Amino acid sequence: MKPIIKQYIFYAFLGLAMGFVVARIGFANYDELHRMFIFADLRMLFSFIGAVVLSMLILALFSKKIPKQNKIFQPGTIPGSMLFGFGWAISGACPSLVFVQLGSGKLAAIFTLVGIYLGVLLHKKIHARYFRWDTGSCGV
Amino acid sequence: MEYWPWWLGAIGLAAVSVLNFLLLGRLLGVSGSWAKVVGWRDNQERSAELKSLAENKSGMDDALLAETLAEFGEASLQELGNESDTEISSSPVITGEQHTPWTVHFVFLFFMFIGGLLAALMSGNFKLELTLSPIHSQIFGADWEVWLALLSGGVMVGFGTQMAGGCTSGHGLSGCARLIPASLVATVTFMLSAMLLSFMMEASLR
Repeated sequence: MKPIIKQYIFYAFLGLAMGFVVARIGFANYDELHRMFIFADLRMLFSFIGAVVLSMLILALFSKKIPKQNKIFQPGTIPGSMLFGFGWAISGACPSLVFVQLGSGKLAAIFTLVGIYLGVLLHKKIHARYFRWDTGSCGV
Repeated sequence: MEYWPWWLGAIGLAAVSVLNFLLLGRLLGVSGSWAKVVGWRDNQERSAELKSLAENKSGMDDALLAETLAEFGEASLQELGNESDTEISSSPVITGEQHTPWTVHFVFLFFMFIGGLLAALMSGNFKLELTLSPIHSQIFGADWEVWLALLSGGVMVGFGTQMAGGCTSGHGLSGCARLIPASLVATVTFMLSAMLLSFMMEASLR
């Protein structure tokens, strides 16, 4: 199999698995998410923390093989995260949840999708023109 | 939809995170895929650049060899021996192995949609709706206000995740699992911000 075909299949499989798992946990449901953020129902928070701890333990077995992540503390880390947190509370979406919301039939999430697209584009332009610091981009 | 208990959700998410590493050799990060898809033109240019580099590789090796000969003489080549050959051929920049075209990231994002669709259809909960949820409509009001909120919230999510260099998956799941300081700070910050605003929105209902 050509490496590029393999990449398509792996990425498609991982996207599918991620979307399915996230939907079954309930992250696509704004009411569930809102109740998590106001501590009315901590089930999903436990799922998230549990996943972090589990993958920490498993990934530690491969720690020599994991490429060093380019995640540095930079001037945008805190303001960017705050902006993202507020946006998440308003729209109920993070960059992956918006697709899962759409998949469960929430047509209104199209507005979120357009919004995220514009936001990413806007940051690209503004960063190239004004910020210019290394953001330690997420992934390769 | 009957949601999974917390432990099953934790196992499922961790499985996705670990499989992502095992299959792709890198850690999960969705906002990175967004950046690739939105910046598809840059990505395409880089693809073409790497391709022409790879095609010209033999030509470039010859040029390097000629240059080395001219500069240092024949003795230097014998001194280097086979070492130089292997170094050149294993360089990822020249072969372009590390580069993922933007279309692959697009497929990744698209299949997240399919995964959500499957989960909804299989549990018999698929329903087309023009708003997000009862509580969301209570907070923001009429349909057009809901849509405006979603659009502006989306811009904040898009801009914020790019500025922070990661999102829930990249910083939260992958970064925290590797105990990367910037990721821990980012995760605590976006969780606390989301909680603060959610509490304020909840208070506005009363």
